Amino acid sequence: MTKKRRCTAIFLVVATTMSLLFSGCSNKKNKDGKVVIELVQYKPEAVDVFEALEEKFNATHDDIELVIDSPNDAMTILKTRFIREDNPDIIGIGGDINYSNFLDAEMLMDVSDFDGLSDIKENYLSTNKDLEYVPMDGVYAVPYMANAAGILYNRDMFEEHNWSIPTTWDEFLQLCEDIEAEGIQPLYFGFKDTWTCLAPWNAIAVNLCPSDIAYQVNSGNAKFSDVYEEVAVKERVLLDYAQPNPVAYGYNDACTAFARGESAMYVIGSYAISQIKSVNPDMNIDSFVFPASNNADENILNSGNDLMFCIMEDCEYKEEAYEVLRFLLEDENVQFYLDDQSAVPCKKGDFTLASELDGMNDYIVNGIVADYQDHHYPSEMSVDAMIQTYLLDNSSNALDTFLARFDKEWERYNRDIIAKVQEYQEKEE
Amino acid sequence: MEKSKKKAREPWSQNDKIFLGILIPVLLLFFCFNTLPLIKGFYYGLTNFRGYGSYDFVGLRNFIDLFSDVRVGKSYLFTFKYAIVMTILVNLISLILALGLNRNIKGKNALRGIYFVPNILGGLVVGYIFSFVFTYILPAVGDMTGIGFLQNSMLASTKTAWIAIVIVGAWQGIAMNTIIYISGLQTVPEEVYEACMLDGASGWKKFSKITFPLIMPFFTINLVLCMKNALMVFDQIMSLTKGGPSQSTESISYLIYKNGMDGGQFGFQSANAFVFFIVIVVISFLQMKFLGGKEEQL
Repeated sequence: MTKKRRCTAIFLVVATTMSLLFSGCSNKKNKDGKVVIELVQYKPEAVDVFEALEEKFNATHDDIELVIDSPNDAMTILKTRFIREDNPDIIGIGGDINYSNFLDAEMLMDVSDFDGLSDIKENYLSTNKDLEYVPMDGVYAVPYMANAAGILYNRDMFEEHNWSIPTTWDEFLQLCEDIEAEGIQPLYFGFKDTWTCLAPWNAIAVNLCPSDIAYQVNSGNAKFSDVYEEVAVKERVLLDYAQPNPVAYGYNDACTAFARGESAMYVIGSYAISQIKSVNPDMNIDSFVFPASNNADENILNSGNDLMFCIMEDCEYKEEAYEVLRFLLEDENVQFYLDDQSAVPCKKGDFTLASELDGMNDYIVNGIVADYQDHHYPSEMSVDAMIQTYLLDNSSNALDTFLARFDKEWERYNRDIIAKVQEYQEKEE
Repeated sequence: MEKSKKKAREPWSQNDKIFLGILIPVLLLFFCFNTLPLIKGFYYGLTNFRGYGSYDFVGLRNFIDLFSDVRVGKSYLFTFKYAIVMTILVNLISLILALGLNRNIKGKNALRGIYFVPNILGGLVVGYIFSFVFTYILPAVGDMTGIGFLQNSMLASTKTAWIAIVIVGAWQGIAMNTIIYISGLQTVPEEVYEACMLDGASGWKKFSKITFPLIMPFFTINLVLCMKNALMVFDQIMSLTKGGPSQSTESISYLIYKNGMDGGQFGFQSANAFVFFIVIVVISFLQMKFLGGKEEQL
């Protein structure tokens, strides 16, 4: 009898512990029998927009309940949830290496039968194609918003001093000299937050390097050190026109300094505009494409998918998820997002763009855009920190060290992918 | 251990059952939240798992890579440099503080309370406040007084950033160690001091021959705790430097978190975490063994 009781006790303890471990599985219908669609999106700065959209959606739909989450550091939270196998239905992520990885890990659903795809601009769809490690069939993401990176400038300050917008690298350097001559700081950097080292890097590289360079390298047909030398040299030149000791200050410091008129220009993307405006709401900002080339016609706008929606492979309610996407893509809701976030729409149509993007408008309308180079860099390789290291390195062979390290580490961190790409190519031949 | 002396097969007494009843749930919890994750970590260390989706087994490749990876090597060097400097600094200062606070001085209890405050504050909060101090206030002081080395933010140079982290870490870490030393000092009976006074010992001699040997157990535990905490340094790095500048302040825990969670190296960093766990166990074990032998009993 006692033995039996002891067994029961042990069994109970084990069962309780196990149920603790495996709780969290739940079915996705709420108590009214509505289908719950959970969307996690990674832009915390857009939380207000999404809260309003969520409310609007739920007010107009009787059979679906939309829940939108906009956590801070969403990528880490998403990945932690994936580890727990507690996937949301739709994820709103950027078109970067994470997308490539999710795709490679077979996490995303093929949405090629989604009717809204025909309304999306082709260049943003093809940007996503480039992010596939090896070419795949199907469409796995619906581009929603793009951003544009280049140089933001203080429009009032420029008008006051009669400075004109540069279209070549030499003109740009001359402009920096002119600004400095007036006793104003031309540029301000927040390199303490290493990722901001990539803002000038991307804006310069997009003009000087082929957009499929990562794929070329993975296939063994090119080397980064050949194409990145000029990019690295030019980024270093920028330091001469920045505040002393730029690694002492972070992204927030730089946005604040630019907003307060401490510098005339800021090399960053359109995503920084809302942050800058939060410091100085009346600031008159405009932007121009980074003129990295000395041939004005070669300049390309650095623009990539900033927010796109993917449906998870294991989502049970595909139709309902499509309904959510259709709702988000309604012109009225797209415009609502644009007004708040100064973004660039991926949807075709006549939208009013934020005045801060005036200087880039031609490029956006005509589609003279190319994706960020860093969307192909694995985040664990920490290219941003490598660039920071290079910028801080004052020895005479800093450039060679950096380029050699880039080639070497690329191979180290992309071993599995390189193998995959080369296997794919052998199969093709 | 006591139980093994009993004859085998003897039925469990009432007491044994109570002990077992207490022990088994704890053991199960320990297994679920410590041993199981460790085994799982080792398992993932054998794969190229990104943390999600499909993955392949890669054998011992991750473990072999660990020893050739420059970044991992640098993070170990940094962490050990930090841990050793921290352990020495924290124990030295907290021992001096404890000796002072153990005297009959005015406002002793209030002072003890104040010195303990840094330990209650969260590491991230403290880090962000100090980050502001290092970036703006200290350089401003440097400009005003003309002291050259203060004019640049300590966090912006590879040579000084780690010192800034040590300062913040020590500021927080000293509190706990001081309390442990104070409680240690209070276990030393008055009679011993009286006896040594009669023998004519005072000052340094009294401390080195009487006080210190008698608080040796507390020294051991402080050394182990401090070393372990310093080896796991994370909050300060996260809030002060994020591993920069030039990746010069990446600690092992930070690297594991950053590349394991944020980057796609879950498998590789699981291997790193497993090796790191063994390293910490070995170090703690050596410290206990080495210092435990030197403890004096009255």
